[in-house]
Amino acid sequence: MSAVTSPGSVVLEARNMTRRFGGLIAVNDVSFDVREGEIFGLIGPNGAGKTTLFNLMTGLTPPSSGTLTYRGTTVTGLQPNRVAALGLSRTFQNIRLFKGLNALENVKIAQHVRTEAGLWRGVFGAAKAEEARVEARAWELLDLVGMADRAGELAANFSYGDQRKLEIARALATEPRVLLLDEPAAGMNTSEKGQLTGFIRQVRDQFNLTVLVIEHHVPLVMNLCDRVAVLNFGQLIAMGNPAEVQRDPKVIEAYLGGE
Amino acid sequence: MTDFLSTYGFLIVTMLQAGLLGLSLYFPLQAGQLSLASPGFYSLGGYVAAILLTNPAFAGLRDTLGNAMFPLTWLVAAVLAGLLGLLVGVPALRLRGIYLALATIAFVEVLRVISLNLSITGGAIGLFGIPQPFGIVDRWQYVFIFGPLLILTLLFARQMERSRVGRALRAIREDELAADAMGVPPTRYKVLAFVTGAVLAGIVGAMSAPLLSSWNARQGTFDASIAILAFVLIGGSRHTWGPVVGGALLTAVPEVLRFLADWRLVINGLVLVVASLYLPQGIVGALEKLGRPRPPQRPTPVKPAEVRP
Amino acid sequence: MELSQFIQNLMNGLAIGSVYAIFALGYTLVFSILGIINFAHGAVFTLGAYFTYTLVVGQFENNGLLKGVNLFPDGSPFSGQPLTFALATLLGATLAGLVAVLIERLAFRPMRSRGADPLLALVSSLGVALVIVNLIQLLVGAEIYNFPSNAYGDTPPALSFTLGGKIVIIRTVQVIIFAVSLVMLAVLGYVIGRTKIGKALRAVAESPTTASLLGISVDRFILITFFLSGFLGGLAGTLVGTAFGVAGPYFGVVYGLKGLAVIVLGGLGSIPGAVLGGLVIGLAEAFVPSQYSAYKDAVAFALLFVILLVRPQGLLGRSAIQKV
Repeated sequence: MSAVTSPGSVVLEARNMTRRFGGLIAVNDVSFDVREGEIFGLIGPNGAGKTTLFNLMTGLTPPSSGTLTYRGTTVTGLQPNRVAALGLSRTFQNIRLFKGLNALENVKIAQHVRTEAGLWRGVFGAAKAEEARVEARAWELLDLVGMADRAGELAANFSYGDQRKLEIARALATEPRVLLLDEPAAGMNTSEKGQLTGFIRQVRDQFNLTVLVIEHHVPLVMNLCDRVAVLNFGQLIAMGNPAEVQRDPKVIEAYLGGE
Repeated sequence: MTDFLSTYGFLIVTMLQAGLLGLSLYFPLQAGQLSLASPGFYSLGGYVAAILLTNPAFAGLRDTLGNAMFPLTWLVAAVLAGLLGLLVGVPALRLRGIYLALATIAFVEVLRVISLNLSITGGAIGLFGIPQPFGIVDRWQYVFIFGPLLILTLLFARQMERSRVGRALRAIREDELAADAMGVPPTRYKVLAFVTGAVLAGIVGAMSAPLLSSWNARQGTFDASIAILAFVLIGGSRHTWGPVVGGALLTAVPEVLRFLADWRLVINGLVLVVASLYLPQGIVGALEKLGRPRPPQRPTPVKPAEVRP
Repeated sequence: MELSQFIQNLMNGLAIGSVYAIFALGYTLVFSILGIINFAHGAVFTLGAYFTYTLVVGQFENNGLLKGVNLFPDGSPFSGQPLTFALATLLGATLAGLVAVLIERLAFRPMRSRGADPLLALVSSLGVALVIVNLIQLLVGAEIYNFPSNAYGDTPPALSFTLGGKIVIIRTVQVIIFAVSLVMLAVLGYVIGRTKIGKALRAVAESPTTASLLGISVDRFILITFFLSGFLGGLAGTLVGTAFGVAGPYFGVVYGLKGLAVIVLGGLGSIPGAVLGGLVIGLAEAFVPSQYSAYKDAVAFALLFVILLVRPQGLLGRSAIQKV
């Protein structure tokens, strides 16, 4: 796939993104570009502002200043559901599945922006074709994450690792162009972690995605990411390919100094 | 039979009515919104009907329309309750949990005090001599008015639950923020659920005004708010039948306890306490646990029609 | 508005507002610890008034199962002197506090231990309220009972003075209500702010789990909280009862509702907020022009609705930052 081998065009442009909470600056003047098809890592010590940056990018938290554009469309200022409609979808660091609903429903719900039956069509059963499509696609996505045989189980009953995978399936159900994964390996066991790199690549290729990933697990980041940005105290301190970033004295300082 | 109906006919009608009011609260609860506003819309609907049916200003209209006047009152009540629901719901639904509940209690109280003081609503005395629809001579015959509405509402609720809109409401109930991030606009659906409940309560009010043949500010009170909440929670808040079963039972309890005379309201209170302690999922929820839920069945893939070369 | 009218309104507002404040504190204490609203609080208010009335008068002439019973055939030892009346009031409030403890044991604790939907606590507490209110009706009937005019001892019924040529009349009851409420608020402020019990209470309110890790018995402090809450509710009931009569089993309902407006206005769970909210609503009601007095009861709820829309965390509440 050409998008993977040759550097793609820029799809996301973050410019001077800043977020203050009272006196605290969680994200400070962060600018970067993400290119089509790449897997872009976001690393940094705890409290560096990574999740806040994801929240700014997906509309959950409005930025104090700065903008994000996706293929020329301004994303900042949109409600989260409009951001999802635009094609940016995410998972959550602390897993926010619809825990009281089963796996199948979780994935069906997330197709909301790609479907349109309103109250009356729904009530009068006039959306059969759309419903069938939603249903079929939900099963496909469960197949993808290997959970079709547990479609009826409540999301709350899945293991951490499986909940992470289900959350990815749910994010994919919104038919995104950009997938933002917040610590996908957290809570996974070693074998699950080992498979994660291949899985994320497979998903990227299969759905033609651009992927942003926040991750702590260093081997995973090094294997998975095409480029990595490092945040510390809300500021972007380094960016480049994983090997370069790993050697960067500022990065070493941030990690060692923070311990 | 006639004896039975003359004794219990009115009770049966009020049981149906309670189920409907329970459902009016159940709709916003589907989206996780605890609204206690139903008595406000119920009261509004009743006033709309009472005014249209007794106010001299509409005498001409009544003469022209005859019995068609009654469905018209339902329609007008539905529209006005829906509009008021929109007006109140859009700002109020920014609130969550207990705050929304308290705001809706305030709404009901403000509406009550206003209705106590307007001349068009008859002030503290209220409105009297509301005519009976469709030649009804005995109050049990209101079964034929409330019964069909209940059936329609249940069908509506069931269909809605199975649809895209129902899924959106459940998503918001489970986790509003995640629902938003997954593309479900929470405000729109919360308002939709709230307005649906308001419209239903308004229609029930409009149907109830002739049933009671008078209407006053006591029809929409805080007590009613909590009674309706009890219908839903004790019947089961996660199932369409819950509010209906809860409404019917809790309405029947004081009647069944009639032999206890003065003690019956005390016992009624105890029933609420005991039921909330021992039936946390509600009656229907408890019954549902007995049966095993059916796992979702994978639809057999429809093969695309073969294209012949 | 003339100054004399202003002062009269001000005094009316402060008196009723301070009662709202101590009553609403009862809600707030329970809310800050359990995060639920005890809908039986209005019924406890009513009970407090009836308890005190029972102590002071000793009999209910007209109706109910207790008709003809006379607790004190030789006259109540609690009547006729300011001090004995104060004692009766405290006892009445204490009994109300004990009832609140009972409510916690019967209707709240079992639910907590099951981890039930907190909404159900609304229903069970309302069930309790129904039981209490109807028991009162069963026992003593639905009529209004007025405290004897000499309940406080030989105090003049009102103070009057002239101001700018106009006579200002302030009812003694109002002064007493305001003074008692202030004392109560001061005592409560001291207990919560300065004592060990208060510190533990605040710890439990902040985080029950942490508190229990620190070795604080959470269940015991929940009981203490309910007792304080009931005591405040019962005291408020007595104060209102002495001013306006004990107006039947349902007379706490209106206060129960207005108390909700008070705590939301001040900020749910905020103790200074409940006091401020009570005074604001009391004063707002007192200054409603007489031609609109029919709308007086709507003032509290209109304020509640507006504050929820403008500043949902209330006047003194902290806004919670939602963590993603």
